[in-house]
Amino acid sequence: MDFNDPMLVLSSWIAQIVDFGLDLLWCFIHIVVSLCHIVSGTFEAIESYAISLGLIQKYSSIDIEKLKCLAVVMDIEAARDVSKVIELLQWLTTIGVKQVGLFDSQGLLKKSKDMILEMVPRSVLLQETGERDISSDRIALEFISSSDNKEAVVKAANILLDKYLKSSHPDKGEEGENVFTESHLNEALRVVGENVQGPDLLLVYGPVRSHLGFPAWRLRYTEIIHMGSLKYMRYGSLLKAIHKFTGVRQNYGV
Amino acid sequence: MLSLLCCFLFFLSFLVHSCLRLRTQAKRSLKDEKEIDEGAYVVGEEETPTRLLRELMPRHVAVIMDGNRRWAERAGLLTSQGHEAGAKRLLEFAELCFKLGIETVSAFAFSTENWGRHKIEVKCLMSLIQRYLKSKIQFFQSEEIRVSVIGNLEKIPESLLGIIKETEEATMRYKKKHLILAIDYSGRSDILHACKSIVKKSQQGLIREEDVDETLFEQELLTKCTEFPSPDLLIRTSGEQRISNFLLWQLAYTELFFSPVLWPDFDKYKFLEALISYQRRERRFGCRI
Repeated sequence: MDFNDPMLVLSSWIAQIVDFGLDLLWCFIHIVVSLCHIVSGTFEAIESYAISLGLIQKYSSIDIEKLKCLAVVMDIEAARDVSKVIELLQWLTTIGVKQVGLFDSQGLLKKSKDMILEMVPRSVLLQETGERDISSDRIALEFISSSDNKEAVVKAANILLDKYLKSSHPDKGEEGENVFTESHLNEALRVVGENVQGPDLLLVYGPVRSHLGFPAWRLRYTEIIHMGSLKYMRYGSLLKAIHKFTGVRQNYGV
Repeated sequence: MLSLLCCFLFFLSFLVHSCLRLRTQAKRSLKDEKEIDEGAYVVGEEETPTRLLRELMPRHVAVIMDGNRRWAERAGLLTSQGHEAGAKRLLEFAELCFKLGIETVSAFAFSTENWGRHKIEVKCLMSLIQRYLKSKIQFFQSEEIRVSVIGNLEKIPESLLGIIKETEEATMRYKKKHLILAIDYSGRSDILHACKSIVKKSQQGLIREEDVDETLFEQELLTKCTEFPSPDLLIRTSGEQRISNFLLWQLAYTELFFSPVLWPDFDKYKFLEALISYQRRERRFGCRI
């Protein structure tokens, strides 16, 4: 019994030392990884400034024609900083983007719509352009919120339901089901006042890598890039993201 | 200079860590950290930035298993072998998820758009799914994993449909672990299917027009087979950064993790990276906290 007590104490010490050693090793690995992140973040910042100054050749000319519709999603903290949103839109105008959809879940940007349109030169509301092509020196803006997502689909579904109930006859069997195709839902969404065009590229500004409820129906083949905080956005990073998009080749599942 | 900085940071970290450790040891109960079988990670009660917390695990993880063909090409193998490796990886992935306490796993096995691929590849894929499901029924039963298949299923071969039905029936009673396979699935078709379902119920007098709202709509989607239809985390491999018509309605507030790794190479370490990233995020679900 007496012999066992020191042995138990010793083994307990050894276990604690080993445990502690492993924790230190884990800590060290954590530091190394953190340092790597710091270094890569620094390189990214330097690269971004170099891109902004036009020092990197490949970002000087971007095939912007491939980007027909860009959407920007931001969390509500970012959406409150309207000056940053305006700055972003000015950058996008400089790059040559013609159509931008601005989304925040609570609709804060919708409330600041007039100010944004006033402050962003050559900007116009997308609904006002109609079917006309947007001229090269203008930028069409669309303001979207969560109410344009599920709520809109439900309203559109109700329109289709109403149409079906009015048109179906007991002896026509499955015919009523022809009311429910993608193009019918597209049409119903337009009736509700929604844009059904899917953005080619979605930029997400905020801490979370999520599209935060952007209209689901439109996101089928949209490229999604998380850009980080809007507060610390960089022109070079924006240019890099758009350039990266222009290099993407989609198979569309085939 | 850099090495001095490293040493300083290391020493600082050691001090901080020691203090934290003494504090938590004083508070900790007899139930200590549990080590999971493979020993590559620790799930426990102590909160540190480098460890996973069981209470912050996602309830539902969805995965777009992209990159099987590219993987096979790089390895000098046939496309079918790439898909085989992908199927094997999926089962390993699902097992790992369930071990970590994740209740639901959804996998995008075959999209409606995939019918446009070469006929031989499509046939191989159907055959692979059939073979895997048939050979794993006993495994699902022994592990108490419920298997559900969502999708259009109209173009699927009869033999595969039979196996799907058999697998679903054999595993229907299990509640704690749920594997959902999306076969011939399209997010838009899912939404349309919900519309049609609402119409049928309306015809039968089960619902009125004014009852149709978001909640009712969600209950008519194909993901109604699970208690948690909206994934907390979506992983897409192979570097592509889009959701490609998968669970469009359900992904509103899902954390999106795009990994550059090809799916057959997406091992447990890459998955842990995704989980660590997920647990660090401050998800607000569109609201201000």
